[in-house]
Amino acid sequence: MLPNSLLQRLASWCPWLLRLTDEPKQPVKVLVTGAAGQIGYAIVAMIARGLMLGPDQPVVLHMLGIPKSAETLNGVRMELIDAALPLLRGVVATSDEAEAFRGVNFAVLIGGWPRKEGMQRKDLIAKNVPIYQSQASALQQHAAPNCKVLVVANPANTNALVLKEFAPAVPAKNITCLTRLDHNRALGQISEKLGVHVGDVRNAIVWGNHSSTQFPDASHATARTQHGEMPVVELIADEKWLKEEFVSVVQQRGEAVIKARKQSSSLSAASADCDHMRDWILGTPKGTWVSMGVYSDGSYGVPEGIFYSFPVTCDKGEWSIVQGLEVDDFARSKMELSANELDEERSMAYEFVSSEIDQ
Amino acid sequence: MAKDPMRVLVTGAAGQIGYALVPMIARGVMLGADQPVILHMLDIPPAAEALNGVKMELVDAAFPLLKGVVATTDVVEACTGVNVAVMVGGFPRKEGMERKDVMSKNVSIYKAQASALEAHAAPNCKVLVVANPANTNALILKEFAPSIPEKNVTCLTRLDHNRALGQISERLGVQVSDVKNVIIWGNHSSTQYPDVNHATVKTSTGEKPVRELVADDEWLNGEFITTVQQRGAAIIKARKLSSALSAASSACDHIRDWVLGTPEGTFVSMGVYSDGSYGVPSGLIYSFPVTCSGGEWKIVQGLPIDEFSRKKLDATAQELSEEKSLAYSCLE
Repeated sequence: MLPNSLLQRLASWCPWLLRLTDEPKQPVKVLVTGAAGQIGYAIVAMIARGLMLGPDQPVVLHMLGIPKSAETLNGVRMELIDAALPLLRGVVATSDEAEAFRGVNFAVLIGGWPRKEGMQRKDLIAKNVPIYQSQASALQQHAAPNCKVLVVANPANTNALVLKEFAPAVPAKNITCLTRLDHNRALGQISEKLGVHVGDVRNAIVWGNHSSTQFPDASHATARTQHGEMPVVELIADEKWLKEEFVSVVQQRGEAVIKARKQSSSLSAASADCDHMRDWILGTPKGTWVSMGVYSDGSYGVPEGIFYSFPVTCDKGEWSIVQGLEVDDFARSKMELSANELDEERSMAYEFVSSEIDQ
Repeated sequence: MAKDPMRVLVTGAAGQIGYALVPMIARGVMLGADQPVILHMLDIPPAAEALNGVKMELVDAAFPLLKGVVATTDVVEACTGVNVAVMVGGFPRKEGMERKDVMSKNVSIYKAQASALEAHAAPNCKVLVVANPANTNALILKEFAPSIPEKNVTCLTRLDHNRALGQISERLGVQVSDVKNVIIWGNHSSTQYPDVNHATVKTSTGEKPVRELVADDEWLNGEFITTVQQRGAAIIKARKLSSALSAASSACDHIRDWVLGTPEGTFVSMGVYSDGSYGVPSGLIYSFPVTCSGGEWKIVQGLPIDEFSRKKLDATAQELSEEKSLAYSCLE
């Protein structure tokens, strides 16, 4: 066993190491960009309550918003102080990227150019590439070593790619994008179909792009029943539903929520962000995997060099792709469709890379 | 052995505070990380679609602790079997509305909801009224649900209490968790009295009185008080929306401490049915310092009240008596 003092120092690189000490944990710095928006408002409350990093992990929140949102952001800061949260050891509210990224151990990048009516995918990419180029710089220059990053803003996979490409000193494995929301939605749909509690369903997979080409895959999912853990495909016994309705409901759930609420998902998105980070840092439960958008290493025939959602397990602060799962022809074609879309997005992104951004 | 789920009602659930509150409840922030919950969400018919959207998101979040969601516009269905009721729904003050108009609208709502809760909630249901005018809405609810024990009807001043802790921690540059025992006396309105005379801060040399450490009575008797009293308006000015995050968080704190108990040596502020303690008229819902244990709150007795504080306690009691008269006049 390493001495506490050494563990404390190593913990600035790997916060999970602090669990091996018996002292109260040092605060970690968590950055949320786009913090003046709806998802930001939901997530900062969750982070400050220990729902992302555990009930014994103090945090210092860094919140970044655009200059126009400075007053709103300050209002959020005021509310965080007003909530008298024991785990919250400080709040930095800023529109300065360097200040925002300084010393952060974890970053949740929600800020980006939102899709407006009439905007094509190419337009969305065009607007977001310069943002993520700039943030890549700030990340590389100012964040703590081994900072773990979750990109949420759409187009999430491609924003993550831009971030990775323009922050070459940041290990690619430390940059991820969110498909946990889709994963959780898939679990929810299966649980509703089976009439079981969602906590008894696991190992759905969301493959590919966080877009309409995502592939929600229930073929390896299981549900806990009175007869033990059983494959979902057996329990549902409706291949048509699993290949069609289930897939389209999960793919289009975001729109369904917008239709009902007149606003996009914030509560469930913020919650999924917390799940993604928590499992990454604290580890997935035994026998359970989750979906994360990660830098592809070519597993399952997915092209390298894109951010693609895979089934992963997490241990000691690292994710690893679950290998050896059977992929049938149906799944293969869906996975390829999404990979092709990501290839196209990558090409589009490179068209808009600015040579004026300082490295 | 896993606990049986508790049913928690949130009224006005399609609004901002509701949206912030339901994920906190579903994550165990209100009742503990090992307490499964079933959420009941109530709102008015025009909000039915939005409410269903919230239900969809709760399903989409795959919360392990959330064992069911009831989203309804039917007050009976909403109240059935609930163990905890957080009443966030009410008629908001709109531009041009007189105080009497707001009071009149809310009195009708709380009278109706009182009946439903009394008839359909689980025995010993704990009620927290958040919607303003919180103290008076709670009083109406209590009066029209006579079979709900009066000790089970409370209103939220924990937000003001937490705001007071926050202001002191910022002033002293200490962690907010090292500050305790402020008191919010009276009405959850601009006449509330944030009192630091018994508040302390944990330091390296032990617990020290806040008044001593701040060493600025002018600030403590002046700006500190008005900042806390007017904080709600300051948030609206900055956000263009009223406090939701901090209100939801404080509602969780209020219920959690009530149900699970306050830590040793710590008291909190709750709006409770006055028994005449501290010369406050009985028959009002008034915010007092309380400790909680075994699921019950108890007013902290015997705290010295100086002349400055006495005036403040009386002024807010006076306002509450007037609100009570106004409320009753609306019922005629």
